[in-house]
Formats: sequence, C-alpha cells, structure tokens
Amino acid sequence: MDYVSPFDERRRVAEPLAPRPASLEGKCVALLDITKRRGDEFLDRIEERLRSRGAVTFRVVKEIFSKPASPEIVRQIADRGDLAVEGLAD
Amino acid sequence: MIPDTLTAAPEFSLPSVAGGSVRLADLHAGGPALLLFVSEECPTCVLTLRRLAPIVSQLDSAGVRVAALFEDPLEVAARVARRTGFDGSVLSEPSPYEVSGAYGLQSLPTAVLVDRDGRQAGRVVGWDSEGLEALLSVPVTHEAPTRKPGCAAKNTYDAESLRALDGAGAFDELEDMFELGWTDGLPVIPPTRSRVEAMLGGRDPDAFLGEMPPAMARVTLERVAACAVLAGCRPEYFPVVLAAVQAVLEPAFNVGGQAVTTQPVGQVVVVNGPVRETIGLNGGVGALGPGWRPNMTIGRALRLVISLTGGGFPGRLDRSALGQPGKVGLCFAEDEEVSPWEPLHVTRGFPADRSVVTVFGADAPLSISDHRSMGPDELARVLGEAAAATWSPTWWPLGGTSLFVICPEHARSFAEWGWNKQQVREAIFEAARRPAGSLRWGETTPLVLAAPDDQVIGKWSSPDDIVLVVAGGEAGRFSAVFGPCLGMNAEVISKEVPWTT
Repeated sequence: MDYVSPFDERRRVAEPLAPRPASLEGKCVALLDITKRRGDEFLDRIEERLRSRGAVTFRVVKEIFSKPASPEIVRQIADRGDLAVEGLAD
Repeated sequence: MIPDTLTAAPEFSLPSVAGGSVRLADLHAGGPALLLFVSEECPTCVLTLRRLAPIVSQLDSAGVRVAALFEDPLEVAARVARRTGFDGSVLSEPSPYEVSGAYGLQSLPTAVLVDRDGRQAGRVVGWDSEGLEALLSVPVTHEAPTRKPGCAAKNTYDAESLRALDGAGAFDELEDMFELGWTDGLPVIPPTRSRVEAMLGGRDPDAFLGEMPPAMARVTLERVAACAVLAGCRPEYFPVVLAAVQAVLEPAFNVGGQAVTTQPVGQVVVVNGPVRETIGLNGGVGALGPGWRPNMTIGRALRLVISLTGGGFPGRLDRSALGQPGKVGLCFAEDEEVSPWEPLHVTRGFPADRSVVTVFGADAPLSISDHRSMGPDELARVLGEAAAATWSPTWWPLGGTSLFVICPEHARSFAEWGWNKQQVREAIFEAARRPAGSLRWGETTPLVLAAPDDQVIGKWSSPDDIVLVVAGGEAGRFSAVFGPCLGMNAEVISKEVPWTT
C-alpha cells in the first residue's frame, strides 16, 4: 500500500565529536549560561575547577533557556573558545 | 513430500511488494524456483517463513529463486515478510485464490519446487524439516517442532468465509500504522495517497510551511495533509488545521520549547468566524470534550504535526513529566452567537466575517463551578481565585497568558449586570493580587523573593494576560481556565483560515 509519510525522511548524519584536548592548561573555555535557575551557581563552581587546572574562562548567556542560542552567541563561543561547557536544566 | 508430480506448474502473474507483477516464467527463467504458498493468518506459515529466511540467499546463490505467494493483500504480505526477515520475492494472490486452486492446494504452507523447465519437481505441505531438506538439498533447521501442520488454504473456503476474511484485512491496515509508529497511541486513518490527495484538494503538496522543531523537520502541505488524514479529519477541516500549523510555526509561539519541555503543555486551538458553522465545529455543550469530529480531529492533527513530523513525541524528545489529555489535541469554537461580547478574533484585529484560529500554549483546563454569586465582583473573584492556583499557588506573577472559557450562563450574568469583557478581565486581575509576604513559601518567583512583605503582586503582570472566550452548554455554571506554559516567552498567535469549502 502506498502511504504518504508524515515524516521528513531526510537522513541526518551525526556530527563527529571534536577531538578531546589532552590538557586544559591555557585553554579558553566558554561557559554557557542558558538562564535556568541556579545554572549560574553550577557554572561558578565549574569555573573554579577549570581555572585551578590552568584554563581561562568566559561567560555567555542565552536570552531564554527554551529557545536555541542566537547565531551571535554561537559565533562568540566559536571565535573565542577552545572548549565549551553548557549548564543545562535545573 | 510428493516426488512424482512432474506435471507442468500452472503459469501465473501476481502483484509484487517490490512493484509491478511477477510471472512464474520470470522466477524459473535461470533455474529452479521455490514457491511458498502462505498466509499471515497461519502460524505455521509464519514459522516457515522465519525458518527459511536465513537460507533464502543461500538458495538464491545456488540458482533457486524463492517466492512467497501470500493469500493476503499486498500490504499484509509486506508486513509479514518484514517481520519474518524473509527477503525473497513477495507476491500477493487476490481472492478467490485461483492460483492456489490451480496448484490444487489443500493447506498452507505448501512449498512447491518448480524445475527450470517449469515442471513441479516436488512439494512439501506444512512445516517438515526433513522433507524440506530433501526438497531443497540444503540444510534446514531441525529445532522443534520438526513437523507442524498448517491451516486450510483459502482457495478451499466457501464464499461466505472469504467475505468475512476480506473485512479482517482493513484491520491489518490499522495495525500497519501502529507498527510504523504513525500514531499517538490511538487508531489512525492510514494516509493512503488517494486520501492525502483528497485532503490537499489539488494544492501543491510540496508547498513549504516552515521547519518544525525539535527535529527541524521540513513541514510541507503534504505532510500536514498526511497528519490530517491520520487524525481523522475530513478535507473541509484541512484549512483550519493548516492555519493552526502556520500559527504554531511562528517563532514567537516557541513551539520548540513547548514540544520538549517537562511542563504539561498542550496547544489549544480556538476557532472564530464562519468556518465554525461550515465544518460543524462545536462551541456549545461539551465544547472542550469528546463528541464532535471536527473538535477531536483538528486538534489531534496539529499535535501529530508536532509529535510525528516535528519529532516532539512523548517520552522521546517530548519530556513532559506527566503529559495531560490536552496533548492528544484540543480544539473548540467560540460561541459567538451566545456571547454577549466581541469575539476573540475581532479583539485580535480581524474582521468579524473572517475565519480565524488562535493558538495558546496551555496547561490542562481547570473547571470553575459557581452557581451562587450574586454580583459581577463576586463571580470575577471566584474566577480569579481559582486561577490563582494555576501553575503553582505561589508562582506570582505567572509571566504568561491565561485563557478563560466563560460558560454561557456566567457570560449572560456578567452582561445582565452590565459588565463588558474588559471589566471582567480587570476584576479577575484585581481578585488575584497578594502581598509578597503571603507568597513566600514553596517555590516562588524572584520578584516575590525580592519584594517587601507588603508589596502587592498580581497573578498576572497585567489584565492583558487574561483572555476570555465564551463556550459551553446553555445550562450549568461551569467555566474553566487554562494556565499558560512558562519560561517560553510564548505568545498567543492568530492566523486566518486560508480558505473555506
């Protein structure tokens, strides 16, 4: 029987993970705060730990957690960061 | 096994799951052919297909073409082949099974080996490990049962039994939808090409409407039509479904956030204007519940576009902790004729004679009973106090829009007391205001935490966050409020219905 699919049948190919760094020494880490409550506290602690291992950090903040990050935020992370940590949910 | 049957194998031409037809001559052109007469309804047939599936390719490389001749419709044959892993030719023999009759079948399964000259070289009836091994000259599994009888072949049925079986086929088509996952858990109407074309009414199937999160799937007119068919819509409902899809695709609605959140958010569709009457959409007794096909199927079609096409399926990318019945779909008409006030679409800037859908990202409805209030302030207070508990009794302000469905008796009372819609909204707003000090328990908002004890905080930021529509039965003083979804910046969106039939 010839059914019409409700789905977008395009096949998606998973993006490969970026290579993992051997050390955090001297790396620049973007800390993405999605504005979920207490996400900033979580990132504060992560920031402490990263700095103690020689990384430098910078914060980027999403306008609202329930929408995708704006292209501007993605660009900031890509331009400045070697790595990124996102604080998800609450 | 019957070894002395070197009679000519009757020729046939039967439709194939792979498309087109296959003739016996095609099958034994390069060597012998093995014909497996089977049916979905016969457990021994299913066992035979499953057990022979692993050796089909072995037989094929030995020059033996294997074909399963199903005494079932094509889609059933395809399904059984898929489930059993059988990847030989899959053919469907229509009722009244003349090919089976020509082969003199008494029961299924029957395996008939046809040699390269088109003669019947042997046959095995039922599952018989030794018999099949001798017939095929390849190892066949000897796991128990090594012998198993089958069922009567359908060519032996009388006409009345055949008619009963034809009815059963329609149910299998519904089961196909469950197997494919093209459902919200309820039975659906299979979206055959002819049904989808009827839904489209000649419109461009590839017309692009937008990308539906979370899968960022391309939403085309054809996919919306497929969902409308699945949901059970009639073609005349389709423009309403389409307007609702266009509304949720507006970025300001943030359907992506709504589709994946742990909140119990559904999408409520309110319809205004002449299309309500054209399609029979209910805004009267039982408007928020079951009983009316347009109400049930339009809301469901929208939800299928979100959950199937868009990938926001419960338990997968939709992480709603509890869900709620409104996530099946919720669509109703405003009863403009009974309402003493301006209809919703007019308030939202559309001419009264246009048909418009308005979508809300909303929680489940909370019923509000009041059969005793003696004045408008009292009734508005009942509505406001009830809504004060939505989301959480301590989450003030909500930061979203609440939809009140005012029943005709409540609406009539307000009108008789001389109150217009705006006065009702303002009174509801005023009824749900509290000193911050009384709200500092449980989970509350940063605003409440930071405010002095005596600062008065409202359940809503302004009366503009309160929307009123009139619907429901003429008797019974039961109104309802839908709380909003939060953290989405989700706006209420209205779209004109693009055509009516």
